[in-house]
Amino acid sequence: MNVRVASVGIGRFGKRSEGLVELAAEAAEAALQGIGRKTVDLLVVGTMLAHGPNGPLPLLPRLAGRLGLESANGLRVEAASATGAAAFHAAVTALEAGRSERALVVAAEKMTDLSTPLLTRELTSALHESEAASGATMPGLGALVAQRYLGRYGLGPSAVSGVSVHDRSMAARNPAAHFREPVTAAEVDASRPVALPLRLLHCAPISDGAAAVVVEKGRGPATVLGLGQGFDALRVIDRDDLTSFGATRRAARAAYEAAHLTRKSVDVVELHDAFAPFALVHLEDLGFCGPGEGAACYEQGWVAPDGRLPVNPGGGLLGRGHPVGTSGLAGIGEIARQLLGEAGPTAISRRPKVGLAHAMAGLGVQNFVTLLGGSGA
Amino acid sequence: MSGRATEGLLLAKCLSCHARFAPPDVPCPRCGSTGTETYRAAPGATVLAATSLEVPPPGWERPHRLALVEVEDGVRLIVIVEGGLPPAGSRVSVWADGPVYRARSAEPEGAERGEGDVPGTGTGPTPL
Repeated sequence: MNVRVASVGIGRFGKRSEGLVELAAEAAEAALQGIGRKTVDLLVVGTMLAHGPNGPLPLLPRLAGRLGLESANGLRVEAASATGAAAFHAAVTALEAGRSERALVVAAEKMTDLSTPLLTRELTSALHESEAASGATMPGLGALVAQRYLGRYGLGPSAVSGVSVHDRSMAARNPAAHFREPVTAAEVDASRPVALPLRLLHCAPISDGAAAVVVEKGRGPATVLGLGQGFDALRVIDRDDLTSFGATRRAARAAYEAAHLTRKSVDVVELHDAFAPFALVHLEDLGFCGPGEGAACYEQGWVAPDGRLPVNPGGGLLGRGHPVGTSGLAGIGEIARQLLGEAGPTAISRRPKVGLAHAMAGLGVQNFVTLLGGSGA
Repeated sequence: MSGRATEGLLLAKCLSCHARFAPPDVPCPRCGSTGTETYRAAPGATVLAATSLEVPPPGWERPHRLALVEVEDGVRLIVIVEGGLPPAGSRVSVWADGPVYRARSAEPEGAERGEGDVPGTGTGPTPL
């Protein structure tokens, strides 16, 4: 594609005192600073909850006004926890269609000042109503999927704890991450149960945070090589396979085909691991290892910054944090920074040529794969 | 809850794509066809996975136990578990209760697991 990432801005994730518009503006201004005096003609905003102090907030016009972008076109995009990736895909599609020359994509979420019951209700809205009627929650269904996965491959519950340890050690290098302290496998295994086999440190935290990316016509080290997305049945019980996400497999196939690449070309990956076991499933669904081999990738150090396939150098959802609507764009932004040589403290050992960012909506209902890299890749 | 063992479970069969599913009063979840036929199945099911939600959603009491079960013809359900948490591979009896399904262990007394046990451990691989 003749579209590239020109600039990235990612604000600090965690508990922030600022409101949604301020968080979004901070990331947006950081990304805009990277393009100097050039202007954008399209603002694409992604937020799932759009949470303001008095209920849902019209983020798009507020942010456009705040940034002085009244003459630009604007879109708001929502795809549950994959919102940030969906917003990026929408902007790239607009550039490809000739509707924009340069677009600012901003994803933002404000979560930490919502009460637990309200937040549970909001996040549960991504589930099918029949599952929600049974009192299911995202971690509850995630636990059932995780248990199926562990059972199928004869793995114990601690097999997934390496994912949390890895993400937290990557986050310790990232000044913008929600968690800066590493954890040990023993600490993960001793953390309190949420819905077994999921324990607290297997679950992404509730975070505030925003990310922004400027995309423009042209090629460079972070050219958009391929976009893919895929749906799956909303009800978990209607899935063909419970130990793999069909939505990821479809999204990956589409992205690899569009880029004329295979997984062998990928040098760095950002995974949507809201729950630690899902990182293993994603590695398998993206083709990086065989079924049931995900845990070995972590045990053998493949995922380290100097490993065969560095994973989540920004800390992943478990370490960087998970402002739901933001995470998809934060992953894309992290990959772009690695490719542009602008990752700073999170840079992997060798500058990559091709990177993959994965995002997941709900429990694998609509997943996105974004391939970025040098245009000669 | 009345007559749960005798009435059996009401399931549906799609007349277009032959998928079997529950609850039966909706269009076929696979192909969207409204041409469906209901039938009664035995209320027994096999547990594929079960968990206890330590933080149930608003309006639900702790412990809130959920299981993914498979009834006759491969139809899968999310069920609310009454009583102890059944291990993967064990048998439960399932009944409809308004818009939800409930289940209770159908294993002999003492086969249920206690609160502190971790389901899915020590059972080895379970068939897909």
